[in-house]
Amino acid sequence: MHCSKVIVAILGLLAPIAIVNALAMADGMADAALAYETIEPSRIRLGDSATIRVTSLDGYLKGVPLPTVPGLTFEVLGRSQGLEFVNGKSIPSTYILIRVTPQFVGLFSIPGLTPKSPSLGLEVVSGDEPNPYALHSHNQFPKPLPVSPAPIPKGIQLKAGGAAFVQLVIPTRAVYVGESVPVDIEVGLRPGIVTSMNGLPTLSGDDFTLNNLSKQPKRREQVIEGSPFVVMTWHSVLAAVKPGDFSLSVETPLSVKINTHSAEDIAIAARMGWPFLQSMYNGIAPRDITIASPSTELKVLPLPTQGQPKDFSGAVGDFQVSSDIAPARVAAGDPLTLRLHISGVGNFDRVDATMFERLDRWKTYPAKSSFIPSDAVGYKGEKVFEQPLIAALPGEQTIPGLDFSYFNPNTQHYERAHTQPVKVMIAASLADSSLSALAGAPSLNGAATNQSARGLRPDHPRPQSSVSEMRPLYFQAPFLAVPATLALILAGSWFAVRPNPARATSKSAERALAQLDAAAQSGDSSSFFAVARTALLQTFAARWQMSPDQITVAELKARLGPAGEDIERLCALADEAKYSDYEPGSTDFQRWLRLIRGQLTGERE
Amino acid sequence: MRAPTIAMLIVGLALWCGQTLAQPSQPRYSADGLYNLANSYARAGKPGLAVLNYERASLLAPDDADINANLEYVRASAHVPTEPRTRFARIAQAANPTLAAWIGVLGIALVGVGLLASKLAPRFQWLRAGILLGVALIALTVSNAMLLWPRMHEAVVLINQTPARVSPVPMGDTAFVLREAETVTMTAEHEDFILIRTRGGLSGWVARANLGTVVPQVSVYPLQSKRIPR
Repeated sequence: MHCSKVIVAILGLLAPIAIVNALAMADGMADAALAYETIEPSRIRLGDSATIRVTSLDGYLKGVPLPTVPGLTFEVLGRSQGLEFVNGKSIPSTYILIRVTPQFVGLFSIPGLTPKSPSLGLEVVSGDEPNPYALHSHNQFPKPLPVSPAPIPKGIQLKAGGAAFVQLVIPTRAVYVGESVPVDIEVGLRPGIVTSMNGLPTLSGDDFTLNNLSKQPKRREQVIEGSPFVVMTWHSVLAAVKPGDFSLSVETPLSVKINTHSAEDIAIAARMGWPFLQSMYNGIAPRDITIASPSTELKVLPLPTQGQPKDFSGAVGDFQVSSDIAPARVAAGDPLTLRLHISGVGNFDRVDATMFERLDRWKTYPAKSSFIPSDAVGYKGEKVFEQPLIAALPGEQTIPGLDFSYFNPNTQHYERAHTQPVKVMIAASLADSSLSALAGAPSLNGAATNQSARGLRPDHPRPQSSVSEMRPLYFQAPFLAVPATLALILAGSWFAVRPNPARATSKSAERALAQLDAAAQSGDSSSFFAVARTALLQTFAARWQMSPDQITVAELKARLGPAGEDIERLCALADEAKYSDYEPGSTDFQRWLRLIRGQLTGERE
Repeated sequence: MRAPTIAMLIVGLALWCGQTLAQPSQPRYSADGLYNLANSYARAGKPGLAVLNYERASLLAPDDADINANLEYVRASAHVPTEPRTRFARIAQAANPTLAAWIGVLGIALVGVGLLASKLAPRFQWLRAGILLGVALIALTVSNAMLLWPRMHEAVVLINQTPARVSPVPMGDTAFVLREAETVTMTAEHEDFILIRTRGGLSGWVARANLGTVVPQVSVYPLQSKRIPR
């Protein structure tokens, strides 16, 4: 009893010092660089390892150079993310964990790993020394007076030695498959004992979907069992993927200093106030653990199949619809935008644009949607679909009313919301109206004269001639037939009038044969052979493409073969008849005629 | 049997004639009418429609000084840059396209007849001059057609600040903005949008309703993208 009083007195003296130290450390943390490192534990046995935790409060830390200290080995263990509590505030932070293993006993000074950070101290003791983590005198304390605990709020179960809790708050009624249900997740942490939160709470099991949780939850402070807790609350939306009875809980990873002191020591420190209790956790290495919330039962019902509309897309909730169009008057071909507003509560992710499929008399493009939430989780709000429409024909057009089907869990029935038909006026397009105004151009002249149009040249007299096609004549297919036909006719004529050497030769041959016949009948050998020689030489010259003077005896023999000798003989007889009055018989005339005819008409064959 | 057949033929012919006559008559264009219409639009402060109709009038009468002067005046008023015509273009477009077309036909006839005559009567050397004249006339017509061919695919922007989009949909991102009365070249079309290229070389998709084609075309919605032949 006396000893306990002495300890209480000592602790009472130390209390103001501890408070000042704690505040100074907190202020220093806030004002110092946004990266710093700590080593836990700072006193270890040879053979054990300590961990350096490099903390960055201003975003991602690329890496730190490992120091070189004789007798110590350093090894990067990895990275992690979490929340750091500074001055009672949670700050997202990143960590690099480095394991330090000593090779011999001694007192080591590890230089700071980040700029402006102080060096770290590590004491390594031999393996046979007492446990450096143990509190040497706790067995000497007498049993403390019982401390009456403050009431714990309903639904909360403290975990991690009373340092943290996590709670899932969901509706008690049954929900439907696909229905969005607002849920609250609360995580309570004791600052100083819970050193960091290593991740966001997660839902156990895969039968439900949970919307992404914010990294900036709502935060409040609450005293539970006489200890201050920082309680973070996430509002989210839960949806079941299949029917059935389920048990739900959430888990969250933490780094917590697990106190090895006896319950009596903790109770005494608790009676003396938070600074004393906090001081008991100094020097204890935090441990990574995961705590879970108490299980909560939830019944999920299937959507009824009876009365389900054909256009039901899975929307569950309570919705209202309205529509508007802009602009109300457009030109044909111009796009206008039909907006469908669906507001209320429910699973807006299942509200789609199938209702626009009924606009079959309009030219449509893919609709664009946007969601404007009116709460933090997107459970309430308004979804707006913007459907571009184009009317091809001018005149007053009507956009039919749109229907939207959904299941209302409150009435437990399928319901249908619909909009009113909308009338729009479609004017003729500008280009078309320009052409239609051609006939009434003078009426436009009565329009107010624009200031910039005063330098225009005057109008022309009323036109006398006009065309039905503005495309130039030479680009019109019917006109192109005219030059094509003309070119064909001229080309045909050119081929028709081209002189034919064969035909000319045949005519001259016929004339020569007639002369030969006449000479043979009259017995005029001189004329017969002279005409024959001339006709044959001209024929051969035309056939062989050479001049008659260039035809020699050798040429005749080479080209005509045995007949060449007869031709040679005929030429000799022509000279003989001319100079010596050679007179062949009638039989000879016939033979020569056959020979000459054969040579002259051979071309025709 | 013959009488009913003849009666059916008469009825069919009457129906065909009625259907043909019932079709709406095609609009008639004249350079003077389009010029006067363009003047009206210019006075009404609609430079896009004014330039469109000046362009159309210029297509029918390229050598009309009034049309060209007012076209340049309205473009300058709308702050739309203009390109001066080259000397070659001025010579080639001295004749209007209809006259140029018939000049080409005359050139073909001269060349053909000259060739025939020189074949039949080679002694008349002066016929070769006729052939050369015919070739010159054909060259004039071809030049005229080549200069007018790009204008067959030109269009005028009718709405100020018309967006040219990167894709042929109403919600497509705007690549650049066109000024009213700017003349652009159409290179392709897709449904309600036309891919245009500006004089500066920029390309983008413009809603069909915001453009007026220099050569009026029947507006249909093609099922697929169609490239306009260049």
